[in-house]
Amino acid sequence: MASLSLEGIQKIYPNGFHAVKDFNLDIEDKEFIIFVGPSGCGKSTTLRMIAGLEDISGGTLKIDGKVMNDVEPKDRDIAMVFQNYALYPHMTVYDNMAFGLKLRKVPKDEIDKKVREAARILDLEKLLDRKPKALSGGQRQRVAMGRAIVRNPKVFLMDEPLSNLDAKLRVQMRIEISKLHENLGATIIYVTHDQTEAMTLGTRIVVMKDGVVQQVDTPQNLYNTPCNLFVAGFIGSPQMNFMDAVCKVNGQDVTLTVGEHVLKVPASKKKALIDGGYDGKTVVLGIRPEDVHDSQAFISNSPDSVITSTIKVYELLGAEVFLYFDVEGTQMTARVNPRTTLRTGDKAVFALDMEKIHVFDKETELTITN
Amino acid sequence: MDYTQELTKALAELKRITGVSMDVNADSPEAAEQAVAQIRCLCTAYKEKYNKTDFLQGLMTGGIPAYDITERAARLHITPDDRRVLFLLECRHIDETVTEILKNMFPAQTKTYLVPVAENTLALLRPLRSGETEADSRRIARTIVDTLSTEALIRVQLSYSFVITNLTELPEAFRETSLALKVGKLFYSEQTVFPYNELGIGRLIYQLPVSLCENFLKEIFGSDVPESFDDETLGTINRFFQNNLNIAETSRQLHMHRNTLIYRLEQIEKRTGLDVRLFEDAMTFKIAIMVLNYLQSERNH
Repeated sequence: MASLSLEGIQKIYPNGFHAVKDFNLDIEDKEFIIFVGPSGCGKSTTLRMIAGLEDISGGTLKIDGKVMNDVEPKDRDIAMVFQNYALYPHMTVYDNMAFGLKLRKVPKDEIDKKVREAARILDLEKLLDRKPKALSGGQRQRVAMGRAIVRNPKVFLMDEPLSNLDAKLRVQMRIEISKLHENLGATIIYVTHDQTEAMTLGTRIVVMKDGVVQQVDTPQNLYNTPCNLFVAGFIGSPQMNFMDAVCKVNGQDVTLTVGEHVLKVPASKKKALIDGGYDGKTVVLGIRPEDVHDSQAFISNSPDSVITSTIKVYELLGAEVFLYFDVEGTQMTARVNPRTTLRTGDKAVFALDMEKIHVFDKETELTITN
Repeated sequence: MDYTQELTKALAELKRITGVSMDVNADSPEAAEQAVAQIRCLCTAYKEKYNKTDFLQGLMTGGIPAYDITERAARLHITPDDRRVLFLLECRHIDETVTEILKNMFPAQTKTYLVPVAENTLALLRPLRSGETEADSRRIARTIVDTLSTEALIRVQLSYSFVITNLTELPEAFRETSLALKVGKLFYSEQTVFPYNELGIGRLIYQLPVSLCENFLKEIFGSDVPESFDDETLGTINRFFQNNLNIAETSRQLHMHRNTLIYRLEQIEKRTGLDVRLFEDAMTFKIAIMVLNYLQSERNH
């Protein structure tokens, strides 16, 4: 397997469209890296540059220390799995997996060995004689993976491979891909716009927006310490609540005022606000839905972080309840215990876990407290 | 030259494509040479009349008169009134690997025809299956691009036509897909699939005469028509347009101070006389850049 290095990678198309800007990343051997971001953020373009399917406009791409910018795709020792894969309808599973190797004129006995090994890894051994129409969606996807595995590449590149599958199958395939990574010990770069996929699969995640890398970190760190408003809003479902708040510094006390609600900032967060000179300025207060509590015990213990509102929507999801309400014209969500007695139309009191708040600069949108 | 050997080859070729066996007694090199030439002519004539690829090539390029289409199609067992979509794909080089992949994606029983157009261009005429509509063409186009990228590791760009209901519409479909591929590559180069009906303003500009485009640029920029703009300027303006002329959002995304962005936009105004912060000027600038790209590509050709 392989390590990769992307230094100042740029992509500018002939029509002037600047798709990727100054992309810097070192990928270790056997890492499972996820490129995540909204549609058009440059994640697929970056992957295609690594594959050699797009020219690199600027910067240096290295695989195992060797500069790859001008190396033909077939000589980069990579294999790709795309969203829109086609299995050859008249071929068996075996022949589908062997086809790419036959095109490369690999000896028959070597093809046989590689196909059977890939089939074993993917649990497709009993299906090798079947035609694609006799396979389920998940099995077809595994055959598509098999076509990549038989190449025994240094790096696997996957571009939204699960996007065409239904929700249930996607969950199942996610687990399969995770197992595959463990079994193969492969370096995998995986593109998705689905943050759940990103969080569950990646050892590290690259969050992108408008061709610019926003943050590179482990799933846990991205969730707990997002570097800016975009990452905070993109990672997590339901997404983080955001409110405009006015910061007031009074000696060693710092408060954030949201309309009529005055929230006391804990010691762990206030230094950054004082040092940053945010007294009197409007900032963005972020808090995750699970850190908005409706339990009486929590409210009693947190008198300095209480907000009140009227429940607009009550959503029971079985193991949890989402409560939707407005605070100063901003919609908020609380993720609470299903035993809550609150229902649509009820006046509600919540307390925010102020140790878990995130504060962002309103103009730069960068984090102040993380 | 050994005409006996050439004659044997020519006869074998004739048998391969027509099924006709023939004995030729050539008692002199001259007679053998004449026989070889005549057999080759026969092969060419037969190919022209009975070869599906030649027929479709001729049909796409308007080389077959309308009155002859149905009869020749029937002779070649091509149903004239199937609903079909024409895909036109381009890559650096159409080699054996590419055709082999496509043949296997669309095996013979799918009645899909592969028609070579140029060294780097291939047409694919595919019938719609029952229940398929024009909307499925995009999915099929994406599948072709992704499969070729995966298996052959090549960059492919592809356009597709409207649904034709009769072979007589094939020449128009070919014109449309050719145009879509040219316009797409020129104006939407970041994409890989160009539907015939999503060319936007690019279609309009592409069909304008060069002299008209030059006059338009002179009107906008005066006598000092820029050859092109540098990447940084274009990048800044593109991002500004993508953000609906929003200064704050653009400066944030470009990681530059808003005053720096304003300064850059003012520099562009100084150079072009267009204040791209105003919608009308922004629109004019956008079109002017597209026209510049078009003229540049025309010059390169």
